[in-house]
Amino acid sequence: MQSQDNLRIAILSAFAIGLHVVERLIPSPVPWLRFGFANIVILLSLILYGFRVAVMITLIRVLVGSLLVGTFLGPGFLLSFSGGLVSTTAMYACLRVFRAAISAFGLSLIGAFFHNLTQLGVAYALFIRRLDAVLYLAPAILFLGIITGSINGVATLAIIKRLRES
Amino acid sequence: MKFINLFRDTRPLDWLVLILVTTVSVASLFVARATSAKASDLVTVEVKGKIVYRLSLSKDTEVDVKGPLGITHVVIKDRRVRVTQSPCPEKICVRQGWISRGAIVCVPNRVVVTVGTEIADRSVDAITG
Amino acid sequence: MKRLLLFTVSLLFIAFTLTACGSKRERLFKDSKVMMDTFVSITVVSKSEKKAREAMDAAFQELKRLEGLLDFYSPKSEISKINKGSGGVPVSVTPTTFSLINTALEVSKITDGAFDITLGVLNRRYDFFEKHHPTESEIKKLLPLVGYKKIVINPALRIVFLKKPGMMIDPGGITKGFAADRAIEVLKAKGIKAALVAVAGDIRAYGLKPDGTPWVVGIRDPRAKSADEVFATLKLTDMAVSTSGDYERYFIEKGVRYHHILDPETGMPARGVISVTVVGPKATYTDSLATAAFVKGLKEGMKMVEKNGYMAVVVDSSGRIYHSKGLEPMLELLKKHIEVRD
Repeated sequence: MQSQDNLRIAILSAFAIGLHVVERLIPSPVPWLRFGFANIVILLSLILYGFRVAVMITLIRVLVGSLLVGTFLGPGFLLSFSGGLVSTTAMYACLRVFRAAISAFGLSLIGAFFHNLTQLGVAYALFIRRLDAVLYLAPAILFLGIITGSINGVATLAIIKRLRES
Repeated sequence: MKFINLFRDTRPLDWLVLILVTTVSVASLFVARATSAKASDLVTVEVKGKIVYRLSLSKDTEVDVKGPLGITHVVIKDRRVRVTQSPCPEKICVRQGWISRGAIVCVPNRVVVTVGTEIADRSVDAITG
Repeated sequence: MKRLLLFTVSLLFIAFTLTACGSKRERLFKDSKVMMDTFVSITVVSKSEKKAREAMDAAFQELKRLEGLLDFYSPKSEISKINKGSGGVPVSVTPTTFSLINTALEVSKITDGAFDITLGVLNRRYDFFEKHHPTESEIKKLLPLVGYKKIVINPALRIVFLKKPGMMIDPGGITKGFAADRAIEVLKAKGIKAALVAVAGDIRAYGLKPDGTPWVVGIRDPRAKSADEVFATLKLTDMAVSTSGDYERYFIEKGVRYHHILDPETGMPARGVISVTVVGPKATYTDSLATAAFVKGLKEGMKMVEKNGYMAVVVDSSGRIYHSKGLEPMLELLKKHIEVRD
């Protein structure tokens, strides 16, 4: 069981990291737009394999991703780390409480929302200290989160459907 | 056809979540509107929370500020501000382009450029000297 | 059940945000503009944004008018007209300009000439951008053109005349405070109950903030790099404050700091103290008295300020901080002394 988990973690982390790096190659029209495709993998593993696997993948994705992109231990890394951890935990909490009452779509929205909220909060607390500047950026970032969260949610739903059918 | 099928997989709570996060985003828009001062010429450039430059939006100029990663280049032209060069990895600040109100934030290089607002959460109302 | 709970929570949230936006409480409104070669910011307390904006716009308009009349460097100002008439033509001016010059002369008298607007001719010889200062012989030649007693005024006709040809008045040491006072008068006339006007470092406040606390003004650390670093704070209501410092406009040549506060007796930058903050009812006086006290130095300056019912915080050239007894209830020192490395 344990080794099976480890294998899953390894494969899924590779997927997450791959998506994380690939999405940076997509030119985005808005500066703060981040698709967060890696969240599809994390959400899937959360639903299929549970919290432990999802958290491990989150941590590996953040660490290896930042090493690959070259932001390790910088402010960007801290934002990514805290955002990833809080968003995975929030998605898990919702899944745990609402179970079948919520689908991957809602969870993805929750994940994106908490990811962004945490990043804004951490950016304010550690780096920016200008509430007005952070507040000014908040609406755009939160709205983009709803869009990308919806896209990722629908994608996750589609993948789950495929997995169930096969 | 397949896409519509996906909608059957959603649950009522999903839509409640959608409504909720949208509400919070809209609310944040109102809060941001309420806190940002309007119609002011003051451009401030801060590094690590300290004001390095106080500039006027109506005076074209270019300044360099030094952050932890290196030099960020800020340009004021035709009553707009932008960051043209930054040593940060993602260049979000550069890609934000010209602004005439609000803020440009570069988290990695700890640079904040604001138009129209003094530090909102400062403990003094004014400084003499 | 859970769905119902969530629904209620979201409804409550929406209701809360709506009420928070709609309520009519007293709020702070702030606006800043670049004027009079500096940043002017006005903060007002009001229940209505419209009323606040109207009042601030009126105040800014008044400042714009003052700028047109009093700018030493603009050839169209009344100050320039007076200067052009020096030695020949008495110039009739508006009541505003006349009252400014009259007050400046009054301050010159109570400070035994330590404050003097006739320093214009010497001010022109210092260029803090080009790092240029006049030579000793130049100063010697120009000093006879300095002296407030050489200004003749006629209050009935509102006429100002400079006796010697070439004389120049530069009211820069009093206009900003004067402007702050004028802006406050405009805001009061517009029915604003509390406000703070800061014309650069010349600040006047009245009333209380919406939370019922006094206005807090920081005194800039005269040797800190950041313009935001303060060494003390003052809690003010119905008070004005100004600071004169050797760090505002200066250059350093061969280890000597040449700054913009000149001693009317020598024509050279005044030495002994590095920052003087004066607190009292009117910004016109805090502005000019701060300059005068800077010229007079620690002991004499402090005595002169207090004799006129004002109070002072002085930093001497070794970085030690002194303050008037009367300031104790409102003054909070954040630093024990200033690091001076000159």
